[in-house]
Amino acid sequence: MNIGGIELVKIRENLWEIPATGQMRVPGRIYISRDMIEKGLKDDEALKQVVNVAQLPGIERYSLAMPDIHWGYGFPIGGVAATNMDEGVISPGGVGYDINCGVRLATTNLEHERVKIRIDELISKLFNAIPTGVGASGAIKKLSANDLKKVLTKGSVWALENDLGSSSDIEFTEESGTLKNADTEVVSKRAFERGADQVGTLGSGNHFLEVDVVEEIYDAKVAEVFGMFKGQIVIQIHTGSRGLGYQVCDDYLKLLLQASKKYGFKLPDRQLACAPIKSKEGQDYLAAMQAAANFAWNNRQVIMHLARKVFKDTFGMKDSELGFRLVYDVCHNIAKIEKHKICKEEKEVCVHRKGATRAFPPGSKMIPAKYQGVGQPVLIPGDMGRYSYVTVGTEKAMEETFGSSCHGAGRTLSRTKALKNAKGRNLVEELKQKGIVIQAKGYKTIAEEMPGAYKDVSDVVEVMHKEGITRKVAKIRPIGVIKG
Amino acid sequence: MSRNYEFIDHTADIAVKLEGSTLEEMFTSGAEAWLFSVIDKKNLKADDLLDIDIPANSKEELLVSFLNELNFLLTTKKWLCLTVKSIKIFEDSQGCEVSAELNGVTIKKNHPLKQEIKSVTYHQLEIVKKRNRYSTRVVFDI
Repeated sequence: MNIGGIELVKIRENLWEIPATGQMRVPGRIYISRDMIEKGLKDDEALKQVVNVAQLPGIERYSLAMPDIHWGYGFPIGGVAATNMDEGVISPGGVGYDINCGVRLATTNLEHERVKIRIDELISKLFNAIPTGVGASGAIKKLSANDLKKVLTKGSVWALENDLGSSSDIEFTEESGTLKNADTEVVSKRAFERGADQVGTLGSGNHFLEVDVVEEIYDAKVAEVFGMFKGQIVIQIHTGSRGLGYQVCDDYLKLLLQASKKYGFKLPDRQLACAPIKSKEGQDYLAAMQAAANFAWNNRQVIMHLARKVFKDTFGMKDSELGFRLVYDVCHNIAKIEKHKICKEEKEVCVHRKGATRAFPPGSKMIPAKYQGVGQPVLIPGDMGRYSYVTVGTEKAMEETFGSSCHGAGRTLSRTKALKNAKGRNLVEELKQKGIVIQAKGYKTIAEEMPGAYKDVSDVVEVMHKEGITRKVAKIRPIGVIKG
Repeated sequence: MSRNYEFIDHTADIAVKLEGSTLEEMFTSGAEAWLFSVIDKKNLKADDLLDIDIPANSKEELLVSFLNELNFLLTTKKWLCLTVKSIKIFEDSQGCEVSAELNGVTIKKNHPLKQEIKSVTYHQLEIVKKRNRYSTRVVFDI
């Protein structure tokens, strides 16, 4: 199949390859169905971006893309690339501006019937407790520069030390909520300024907090280990490192544009600016990116803690009764140094996941002891009017995708088209008819984020399930949403 | 003066085509497109002047730095640039620099914004000059 001049060769039902031609160092591989290619990839530049990423120095095996692939900048959204530690590079374009944007899922002992009748009150209280919207600030008191440094070094552990979380919260966060090589000395003053009052805020765009009900269980054994049952109330939080992360990305793109020239890299897109991982520039970016990632984990932790308090107050329950427990927290915009098998040899590589989720298998040392027997929870949020999925990592993901899977639905309509589509409709009422209460700062966000603006996330999850990369565990459906 | 920018449909972010008979005019178009993207300027009046000087290694990097400066002033200092009063771009073999005088206003902390631009990106950014007219396409990450 030829899409806009790019040749796609079918490898399996849901796996397509772009053979390495021209400047490509490795082939491209996209996990996607024929139907999704024809519907979604004809009119944008996402495939070209897969080709561009394949040109990065030191890239190993493939330039990969998950089924939620769409047009980003630099890397496509849904892009995964691993670079080797010798001549390989690290690129902020492979992480994105919202460093460690991610999702967490918490379960409760509450059942749908009990929450349904008080959902308006609950959503209203959550909306008041958690600042949302453009440049939202002030969830907790503005942090001093010194405290903010601690957040950047300690991640979620800072929240724990400040009575904003429990040790179990830390245990069930990817990397235990802290990347250890974060260095605040390489984070600019501007980044500090942009992040100072944004701890515990959701922000705008596609970020959200959702109250969901478990609608379907696909794998009873795994669901039980994750602590999930049908009819249960669960909470999803999607946000990232806010202004601080954007500024870190911005600062280092500028710096790495210079580094790319210095090291003589010819890049097909400025947004792929990069530096050798082992160079001073590469190491500085890695340390600053880790600091921003820590900010994001702490951010989601603080938000979850605020939400937990609202639940306790609303239902008059003690911690032990409510059972508000973090299932897992995953990041989907990050670069990580990990060990992977390449040509039968275990090698350290830098895995860039831009709009892709880590999906480690049973037995991985990188996941909590409780999940050793089943694998890592992989959280795939859908749009606010339909459903999201909880899936689990597999050995096949390790073999084929550097332990990675998809991260969400992916937009199908631009924001302008979504706004046009929403004209003359009352989306709040439409969602209410479907049993979903929504509160947002502005109606525009609701219109831009309307369910029809996104692909059906089940198509995306199905591709990963059929290919054996991540297996479906449960489907959850929103009953209440707060947004920016 | 007629509008020198045009939004292009982009699935996830904002893409805009900028034009100008000079680089300065094209940068000013960029500032106008940025302003349109972030806020409804109705009822806002400039009452403050701010000078900025930004160096960069190329025209493209300069455009990104210039627009990101406007974005930083707004997101962090709540200072909104309403118009570019004067602007001059210098270029030599060492690189380039923009010197501009901005007309603006400090907005209230809770003043509604249309959306949060995370950053102006370098994605496929190329400034071209054809028949004495500068143009480029720039993507804002939102």
